[in-house]
Amino acid sequence: MFRAKRRTVVTVAAVAAVLLAGALAVTLTEGSGQASGVTYIGGDNSQQVYAAGHRALAPDFTGTSLNGTPIRLASYRGKVVVLNFWGSWCAPCRAEGPTLAVLSEQYRSKGVSFLGDDVGDTTANALAFTHDIGIGYPSVNDASYSIVQDFSRVASVGYTPTTVVIDQTGRIAGLVIGKISYQSMTTILNDVAASP
Amino acid sequence: MTDVHTPREQAEAQGEETGSFGITETEPDATGSGAETGPSAGWLRWGWRQLTSMRTALVLLFLLALGSVPGSVLPQQGSDPAAVQQYFASHPALAPWLNHLGLFNVFAAPWFAAIYLLLFTSLVGCVVPRTFKLAGSARTPPPRAPRNLRRLPHSASFPSALAPGAAVDAAAAMLGGQRFRLRRPASGDSGHWVSAEKGYLREAGNLLFHLALLGVLVSIALGGLFGYKADKLLVEGQAFSDTLPALDEFHPGRLVSGSDLAPFTLTLDRFSASYLTSGGSRGQPSDFNASVTYSPSPGAPSRTYNIRINDPLPVDSTKVYLIGHGYAPVFRVTDSRGNVAYNEATPFIPANTGTFLSDGVVKAPDASLGFMGVFVPTAVSVGGTLESAFPAADFPAVSLIGYSGNLGMNSGVPQSVYQLNTAGMTKISGSPRLMLPGQTWTLPGGRGAITFVGVKQWVSLAITYDPGQVPALVCGMLALGGLLVSFLVRRRRVFVRAVPAASGGGSVVTVGGLARTDASGGFEEEFAELAAELAAQQKPEPNNQSEAGA
Repeated sequence: MFRAKRRTVVTVAAVAAVLLAGALAVTLTEGSGQASGVTYIGGDNSQQVYAAGHRALAPDFTGTSLNGTPIRLASYRGKVVVLNFWGSWCAPCRAEGPTLAVLSEQYRSKGVSFLGDDVGDTTANALAFTHDIGIGYPSVNDASYSIVQDFSRVASVGYTPTTVVIDQTGRIAGLVIGKISYQSMTTILNDVAASP
Repeated sequence: MTDVHTPREQAEAQGEETGSFGITETEPDATGSGAETGPSAGWLRWGWRQLTSMRTALVLLFLLALGSVPGSVLPQQGSDPAAVQQYFASHPALAPWLNHLGLFNVFAAPWFAAIYLLLFTSLVGCVVPRTFKLAGSARTPPPRAPRNLRRLPHSASFPSALAPGAAVDAAAAMLGGQRFRLRRPASGDSGHWVSAEKGYLREAGNLLFHLALLGVLVSIALGGLFGYKADKLLVEGQAFSDTLPALDEFHPGRLVSGSDLAPFTLTLDRFSASYLTSGGSRGQPSDFNASVTYSPSPGAPSRTYNIRINDPLPVDSTKVYLIGHGYAPVFRVTDSRGNVAYNEATPFIPANTGTFLSDGVVKAPDASLGFMGVFVPTAVSVGGTLESAFPAADFPAVSLIGYSGNLGMNSGVPQSVYQLNTAGMTKISGSPRLMLPGQTWTLPGGRGAITFVGVKQWVSLAITYDPGQVPALVCGMLALGGLLVSFLVRRRRVFVRAVPAASGGGSVVTVGGLARTDASGGFEEEFAELAAELAAQQKPEPNNQSEAGA
C-alpha cells in the first residue's frame, strides 16, 4: 500500500515536471518563431483609451527642440497634449506627418497642443522633414530614446510611431500605436477635450 | 562472484538492488499489475514505461541530433531570410517541398518540437522516480546477516577468546569506529551477529546527479521563460536607452515584455580595432575595444567601461556583449535649393569581413535623392575596380551610384535601412562616383549635392539576460560531482557472526564481505585487512590457540 502511494506521488511529480518541460518547449518554439523583425509590434493603428481615474501620470521631461529652444512637458499642464513619437527615418511616421500637421492646426483653438518626440534621428534630417511637410509644432530631440524609455514604463510605448494623448491634468488619456488616422485621433481628442 | 552460492543467499545479502549509476531503465517490477485497473490503464502504463526507458531517451537524443542537421545545412528563415529566398530562386522545384516539411525553420517546426518534448518527457519521467528510489535506498539499513557467511564472495574465520556476544560486540564497536552503518539482531532474534555497510555516499552522489539533472532542466526553462536577447547597432558618438523602440531586434522569453528591459542608457564614445600589420595573418584583428559611458538607471551617475570580446559590460543583471563592428561613413546631402536634407553617419554592412569592403545606402527622402554605395577602408584599384587592401581605415573611400525621385518612404510601408527601393526613382547618369573624405559631388541637373564628410565606426551590441545561466552552471557542476562520487565510491557490506567454540570459553567468529557493485576492485584487500584487524582484536591467549585452530 505504501508502495502504491509512493508510485502515485512519483507519477504526479513526473507529470508536473513534464508540464514544466512543455512550457519550456513552447518557449523555445516561440523564441525561434520571433527571430526576424520582432520590433514591428502591431503597428496597424491599434488604439487604447483610458477612462478618467484609470490614467497613468505622464513622466515629465525637459529637452531641447530641434530649433534649440528648451521644452518642458510640465509647462503644458492645463492643456491637452498630443505627444507623437517619431523619426524622419521611419516610413509610417512620414506617412502620418501631414495628418498630424492638419490636426494640430484644427485643434489649436480647442486648447490642444501638439508636441513631437524625435527618436533615433539627426537634427538635420528631422528638420528637413518638418519643413518639407510643413509641421508647425515643436519636436524635442530624443535621439537616445530616453523619453521613450520613461514613457514605456507607464504606457505601451513600444513602437515607432506611437502617439500619446495627455489630458489637462498631465495624465495619459489614450494612445495610438502605429500610424494614426484622422478618424482615430479626432475620436480620442473630442473625447478627452470634452471630459477633462 | 562465483556461481557456487545460491541465488537466494546472494539476494539476501545484496538487499534490494539498485542500478549501478546514472540513468538506467526503470524496472519492470509491476508487470501484469494493469489487470486490476483495466486494460487501457495497463496500456498507458506500458506506454509510459516505454517512453521513460533509457533506450527511448537515447533514440530521441539521436533523432534530435539528426533533426538539427538540416538546420545547419539549409539556410534558416530565422537567421538568414535572404539566403532562404535565394535558395527558393535557385531550387524552384525542391524548395516548396522542403518548406512544407518545415526545413527552412527547423527549430520552430512541429516535428522538431515533438522530438524534444518527448525527450524532455522521457528524461523527466525517468529521473523523477529514480530520485525517489535513490532517496529511499540511501536511507535503508543494512540487511540481516545471512546464515552462512562462508558462501559470500569474501569470507574468513578466526577463533576468539571472547564469548559470542562479546565477540560480536567488539567487532561491532570496531566496525562502527570505521564509520560502517550497523544493524544488530532485534530483541527476539537468536544468534549473535552484526551487519555493517559502508559507501552510502555512492547513493548520495547518484541522488545528487539526478537532482542536479532536474535542476539543469529547470534552469533552462527559467532562462527560456524570463530571459531575453536584444541587438542594437550603435555609431560612435550615439547613445541609446534600453527600451523596445530603440532596439533593432528583440527576442523575449515567454514571460518577458518590453517593460522588463533593464532601464540603462549607453553611449558609444569610441571604438577601436587593431589589426596585425605584418606576417602571414596580416589584416587579422588583434584587439577590439568599445569605450562606453553608461548609466544603470535614469538619473544614476554615469560610469565608463571598455567592452571587449569576451568582456561584456555587466549592467543591472544583463550583459552587453560586443558582437560586431563596421564603418559608418558620414554624408551630408543638400537638396536642389541648397538646404541640408540629410546629415548622418550611415552604417554600412561589411560584405567582406577580411577587408571590410562594405555596402550601404543613403536615403534623403526630403531631397528626393538616394544613393547606393560601397565603402572601402583602404582603397586600392585592382584593374579599375575599387577594392580594399586592409581592414583599418587608412585610406577610406566610397563609390556611389545616385538615384533621384520618390523613395517610397512617405507611403508608410516600413523599409529596411540597408536597401533602397528604386522602383520610383531614376538613376543619375554616369559611372559610379569615387569620393574621398571631404569631397563633394554636385549632382547634374541641379538636383543637389552629396558630401562624404568623414568616417565613423559602429558596433553591434547584444544585450542578454539569462536568469538560468548561473543555476544551469551550478547544477551542471553538481551533476558532474555527483557522477564522480557515484563512480568512485563503492558500497560494501561486512557481516560478522559468532558461535560458541566447540570447546573452551571462546567462540568462532566468521566474517563475510560483499561489494554490492561491479566497481568492486580493491575490496578484496580491504576485506582481508578488516578481517585481520578483527582477528587481532580478539586474539585468544597463546595456550588456547592450538584448540581453536582445529
